[in-house]
Amino acid sequence: MLIPHPLLGLRDSQEFTYLGDAALMDRPDPAGGNAEAAFTDYVFLRDNPAGVHRELWFHEQGDRSWLVVTRDTVTHEILGAELARDVKLNEEGAQ
Amino acid sequence: MTDLTPITALGAKTARKETYDALTLSENPELALASLALRRDQTPPSPFGLRLPDPGHCADKGSVAAFWTAPGQWMIEAPGRANEDFAARLEEEVPGGSISEQTDAWTAIEITAKNSAALEALMQKLVNLDPAQIAPGHAARTGLEHMSVYLIRRSETHLAVMGMRSFAAALWHALVTAAARIDQTA
Repeated sequence: MLIPHPLLGLRDSQEFTYLGDAALMDRPDPAGGNAEAAFTDYVFLRDNPAGVHRELWFHEQGDRSWLVVTRDTVTHEILGAELARDVKLNEEGAQ
Repeated sequence: MTDLTPITALGAKTARKETYDALTLSENPELALASLALRRDQTPPSPFGLRLPDPGHCADKGSVAAFWTAPGQWMIEAPGRANEDFAARLEEEVPGGSISEQTDAWTAIEITAKNSAALEALMQKLVNLDPAQIAPGHAARTGLEHMSVYLIRRSETHLAVMGMRSFAAALWHALVTAAARIDQTA
Protein backbone atom coordinates (compact mmCIF):
# COMPACT_ATOMS: atom_id res chain seq x y z
CA MET A 1 0.00 0.00 0.00
CA LEU A 2 1.39 3.41 -0.98
CA ILE A 3 0.52 6.63 0.80
CA PRO A 4 0.73 9.86 -1.22
CA HIS A 5 2.68 12.06 1.18
CA PRO A 6 1.87 15.71 0.33
CA LEU A 7 5.54 16.72 0.50
CA LEU A 8 7.43 13.57 -0.45
CA GLY A 9 5.23 11.75 -2.95
CA LEU A 10 4.28 8.07 -2.85
CA ARG A 11 5.81 6.27 0.13
CA ASP A 12 5.43 2.71 1.36
CA SER A 13 2.86 2.36 4.14
CA GLN A 14 5.45 0.34 6.12
CA GLU A 15 7.18 3.65 6.85
CA PHE A 16 4.06 4.80 8.69
CA THR A 17 2.33 3.90 11.92
CA TYR A 18 -1.42 4.17 12.29
CA LEU A 19 -3.16 5.97 15.10
CA GLY A 20 -6.87 5.99 14.27
CA ASP A 21 -9.81 8.23 13.50
CA ALA A 22 -8.83 11.78 12.50
CA ALA A 23 -11.61 13.01 14.80
CA LEU A 24 -9.02 12.58 17.59
CA MET A 25 -7.63 15.94 16.47
CA ASP A 26 -10.77 17.65 17.74
CA ARG A 27 -10.25 17.39 21.48
CA PRO A 28 -13.23 18.71 23.46
CA ASP A 29 -12.87 21.73 25.71
CA PRO A 30 -12.16 20.40 29.25
CA ALA A 31 -13.68 23.58 30.68
CA GLY A 32 -16.92 23.21 28.68
CA GLY A 33 -20.24 22.55 30.38
CA ASN A 34 -20.69 19.06 28.87
CA ALA A 35 -17.00 18.13 29.21
CA GLU A 36 -17.63 14.75 30.86
CA ALA A 37 -20.01 13.53 28.17
CA ALA A 38 -17.84 15.03 25.41
CA PHE A 39 -14.71 13.28 26.75
CA THR A 40 -16.53 9.96 27.14
CA ASP A 41 -17.41 10.21 23.48
CA TYR A 42 -13.89 11.41 22.53
CA VAL A 43 -12.00 8.73 24.45
CA PHE A 44 -14.24 5.64 24.09
CA LEU A 45 -16.57 5.94 21.12
CA ARG A 46 -15.38 5.52 17.55
CA ASP A 47 -17.23 5.44 14.25
CA ASN A 48 -16.40 2.29 12.35
CA PRO A 49 -17.56 3.02 8.82
CA ALA A 50 -17.51 0.53 5.95
CA GLY A 51 -16.35 3.02 3.36
CA VAL A 52 -14.56 6.34 3.35
CA HIS A 53 -12.70 7.04 6.59
CA ARG A 54 -10.37 9.88 7.60
CA GLU A 55 -7.56 8.65 9.81
CA LEU A 56 -4.28 9.74 11.35
CA TRP A 57 -1.01 8.21 10.15
CA PHE A 58 2.46 9.06 11.46
CA HIS A 59 5.38 9.01 9.03
CA GLU A 60 7.66 7.41 11.58
CA GLN A 61 10.42 6.14 9.29
CA GLY A 62 10.28 9.32 7.24
CA ASP A 63 9.87 12.96 8.06
CA ARG A 64 7.85 12.26 11.23
CA SER A 65 4.89 14.34 10.13
CA TRP A 66 1.31 13.47 11.02
CA LEU A 67 -0.97 12.97 8.04
CA VAL A 68 -4.72 12.83 7.66
CA VAL A 69 -5.22 10.00 5.19
CA THR A 70 -8.60 9.41 3.56
CA ARG A 71 -9.02 5.69 2.98
CA ASP A 72 -11.84 3.46 1.83
CA THR A 73 -11.99 0.75 4.50
CA VAL A 74 -13.76 -1.63 2.11
CA THR A 75 -11.28 -1.50 -0.78
CA HIS A 76 -8.21 -0.07 1.06
CA GLU A 77 -8.03 2.53 -1.68
CA ILE A 78 -6.21 5.66 -0.49
CA LEU A 79 -8.16 8.67 -1.69
CA GLY A 80 -5.87 11.40 -0.44
CA ALA A 81 -3.47 12.59 2.24
CA GLU A 82 -2.79 15.98 3.76
CA LEU A 83 -0.58 17.26 6.55
CA ALA A 84 -2.51 17.17 9.84
CA ARG A 85 -0.87 20.49 10.67
CA ASP A 86 -2.45 22.10 7.59
CA VAL A 87 -5.85 20.57 8.39
CA LYS A 88 -5.75 22.01 11.91
CA LEU A 89 -4.49 25.42 10.78
CA ASN A 90 -7.23 25.60 8.13
CA GLU A 91 -9.85 24.73 10.74
CA GLU A 92 -8.55 27.43 13.06
CA GLY A 93 -8.41 29.91 10.19
CA ALA A 94 -12.02 29.15 9.26
CA GLN A 95 -13.30 29.84 12.76
CA MET B 1 45.15 11.14 34.09
CA THR B 2 43.01 8.50 32.41
CA ASP B 3 44.33 7.77 28.98
CA LEU B 4 41.34 7.78 26.63
CA THR B 5 41.64 6.56 23.06
CA PRO B 6 39.04 7.81 20.61
CA ILE B 7 37.48 5.13 18.45
CA THR B 8 35.18 5.33 15.46
CA ALA B 9 31.57 4.11 15.50
CA LEU B 10 32.77 0.75 14.19
CA GLY B 11 35.17 0.42 17.09
CA ALA B 12 38.54 0.95 15.42
CA LYS B 13 41.16 3.67 15.57
CA THR B 14 40.81 4.43 11.89
CA ALA B 15 37.78 4.59 9.62
CA ARG B 16 36.79 1.34 7.97
CA LYS B 17 36.83 1.11 4.20
CA GLU B 18 35.98 -1.74 1.87
CA THR B 19 36.10 -1.88 -1.89
CA TYR B 20 34.20 -4.17 -4.22
CA ASP B 21 34.23 -4.21 -8.02
CA ALA B 22 31.98 -1.25 -8.59
CA LEU B 23 31.40 0.05 -5.06
CA THR B 24 33.54 1.51 -2.29
CA LEU B 25 32.11 1.88 1.21
CA SER B 26 33.85 4.01 3.79
CA GLU B 27 33.03 5.14 7.28
CA ASN B 28 33.13 8.93 7.63
CA PRO B 29 33.89 9.76 11.29
CA GLU B 30 35.02 13.32 10.49
CA LEU B 31 31.56 14.62 9.60
CA ALA B 32 30.27 17.40 11.85
CA LEU B 33 26.47 17.51 12.16
CA ALA B 34 23.95 19.85 13.69
CA SER B 35 20.19 19.86 13.31
CA LEU B 36 18.31 23.07 12.70
CA ALA B 37 14.61 23.60 13.37
CA LEU B 38 12.91 26.91 12.72
CA ARG B 39 10.56 28.47 15.22
CA ARG B 40 7.03 29.29 14.11
CA ASP B 41 6.93 32.09 11.50
CA GLN B 42 10.73 32.34 11.42
CA THR B 43 12.06 33.32 7.99
CA PRO B 44 14.21 30.54 6.51
CA PRO B 45 17.83 31.61 7.00
CA SER B 46 20.85 30.97 4.77
CA PRO B 47 23.50 29.58 7.14
CA PHE B 48 27.02 29.83 5.66
CA GLY B 49 25.43 31.20 2.47
CA LEU B 50 23.62 27.91 1.94
CA ARG B 51 20.09 27.96 0.52
CA LEU B 52 18.23 25.42 2.67
CA PRO B 53 16.89 22.66 0.42
CA ASP B 54 13.25 21.91 -0.34
CA PRO B 55 11.47 18.78 1.03
CA GLY B 56 13.20 15.60 -0.09
CA HIS B 57 16.33 17.39 -1.28
CA CYS B 58 19.91 18.08 -0.25
CA ALA B 59 22.22 20.95 -1.12
CA ASP B 60 25.81 21.92 -0.60
CA LYS B 61 27.80 25.09 -0.82
CA GLY B 62 31.53 25.26 -0.31
CA SER B 63 32.45 23.36 2.83
CA VAL B 64 28.95 22.83 4.24
CA ALA B 65 25.92 20.84 3.12
CA ALA B 66 22.36 20.36 4.30
CA PHE B 67 19.51 17.97 3.79
CA TRP B 68 15.83 18.35 4.57
CA THR B 69 14.60 16.16 7.45
CA ALA B 70 11.08 17.44 8.25
CA PRO B 71 8.93 20.52 7.61
CA GLY B 72 11.01 23.47 8.82
CA GLN B 73 13.89 21.17 9.84
CA TRP B 74 17.25 20.40 8.31
CA MET B 75 20.47 18.61 9.16
CA ILE B 76 23.55 20.72 8.44
CA GLU B 77 26.75 18.82 7.59
CA ALA B 78 30.35 19.97 7.62
CA PRO B 79 32.82 17.35 6.37
CA GLY B 80 36.11 17.10 8.26
CA ARG B 81 35.02 19.32 11.16
CA ALA B 82 33.88 16.73 13.75
CA ASN B 83 36.43 18.03 16.28
CA GLU B 84 34.92 21.54 16.27
CA ASP B 85 31.92 22.87 18.15
CA PHE B 86 29.97 23.01 14.91
CA ALA B 87 26.57 23.58 16.57
CA ALA B 88 27.96 26.79 18.11
CA ARG B 89 29.15 27.96 14.67
CA LEU B 90 25.67 27.28 13.30
CA GLU B 91 24.04 29.14 16.18
CA GLU B 92 26.02 32.23 15.22
CA GLU B 93 24.63 31.91 11.68
CA VAL B 94 21.00 31.32 12.72
CA PRO B 95 20.13 33.34 15.80
CA GLY B 96 16.79 32.27 17.25
CA GLY B 97 16.72 28.85 15.54
CA SER B 98 16.57 25.61 17.50
CA ILE B 99 19.92 23.91 17.05
CA SER B 100 21.13 20.58 18.41
CA GLU B 101 24.59 19.10 18.22
CA GLN B 102 24.36 15.81 16.27
CA THR B 103 28.01 14.97 15.57
CA ASP B 104 28.75 11.32 16.46
CA ALA B 105 25.09 10.63 17.18
CA TRP B 106 25.05 9.36 13.61
CA THR B 107 27.43 7.25 11.65
CA ALA B 108 27.82 8.19 8.03
CA ILE B 109 28.82 5.58 5.49
CA GLU B 110 29.87 7.08 2.18
CA ILE B 111 29.29 4.86 -0.83
CA THR B 112 31.02 5.76 -4.07
CA ALA B 113 30.37 3.82 -7.24
CA LYS B 114 31.92 3.51 -10.67
CA ASN B 115 28.52 4.32 -12.16
CA SER B 116 25.05 5.25 -10.99
CA ALA B 117 23.69 1.84 -12.07
CA ALA B 118 25.73 0.09 -9.37
CA LEU B 119 24.39 2.46 -6.71
CA GLU B 120 20.83 1.99 -7.89
CA ALA B 121 21.24 -1.80 -7.95
CA LEU B 122 22.46 -1.67 -4.35
CA MET B 123 19.55 0.48 -3.22
CA GLN B 124 17.05 -1.72 -5.05
CA LYS B 125 18.11 -4.51 -2.71
CA LEU B 126 17.97 -2.41 0.44
CA VAL B 127 15.23 0.22 0.40
CA ASN B 128 11.67 0.47 -0.82
CA LEU B 129 11.89 3.84 -2.55
CA ASP B 130 11.29 5.04 -6.06
CA PRO B 131 14.77 5.68 -7.59
CA ALA B 132 13.62 9.25 -8.38
CA GLN B 133 13.39 9.89 -4.63
CA ILE B 134 17.12 9.28 -4.26
CA ALA B 135 18.22 10.81 -7.54
CA PRO B 136 21.22 13.20 -7.38
CA GLY B 137 20.33 16.19 -5.20
CA HIS B 138 17.72 14.25 -3.26
CA ALA B 139 17.71 13.00 0.31
CA ALA B 140 15.26 10.70 2.07
CA ARG B 141 14.71 9.05 5.41
CA THR B 142 13.43 5.51 5.24
CA GLY B 143 13.76 2.03 6.73
CA LEU B 144 16.68 -0.22 5.80
CA GLU B 145 16.47 -3.72 7.32
CA HIS B 146 14.27 -2.24 10.10
CA MET B 147 16.81 0.50 10.83
CA SER B 148 15.92 4.14 10.22
CA VAL B 149 18.45 5.73 7.89
CA TYR B 150 18.98 8.91 5.94
CA LEU B 151 20.01 8.48 2.33
CA ILE B 152 21.76 11.48 0.81
CA ARG B 153 22.57 11.32 -2.88
CA ARG B 154 25.50 13.71 -3.06
CA SER B 155 26.14 13.09 -6.76
CA GLU B 156 25.46 10.64 -9.57
CA THR B 157 28.05 8.21 -8.16
CA HIS B 158 28.06 9.11 -4.47
CA LEU B 159 25.46 8.23 -1.85
CA ALA B 160 25.76 8.66 1.91
CA VAL B 161 23.85 6.37 4.26
CA MET B 162 23.47 7.77 7.75
CA GLY B 163 22.25 5.64 10.64
CA MET B 164 22.29 5.97 14.39
CA ARG B 165 25.73 5.36 15.87
CA SER B 166 24.39 2.66 18.20
CA PHE B 167 23.65 0.34 15.27
CA ALA B 168 26.64 1.29 13.12
CA ALA B 169 27.91 -2.30 12.99
CA ALA B 170 24.53 -3.69 11.91
CA LEU B 171 24.19 -1.01 9.24
CA TRP B 172 27.71 -1.68 7.96
CA HIS B 173 26.94 -5.40 7.83
CA ALA B 174 23.73 -4.84 5.86
CA LEU B 175 25.49 -2.59 3.35
CA VAL B 176 28.59 -4.70 2.75
CA THR B 177 26.55 -7.91 2.47
CA ALA B 178 24.40 -6.33 -0.23
CA ALA B 179 27.42 -4.72 -1.93
CA ALA B 180 29.23 -8.06 -2.10
CA ARG B 181 26.23 -9.67 -3.77
CA ILE B 182 26.00 -6.88 -6.36
CA ASP B 183 29.60 -7.77 -7.11
CA GLN B 184 28.88 -11.42 -7.71
CA THR B 185 25.95 -10.78 -10.01
CA ALA B 186 27.56 -7.94 -11.99
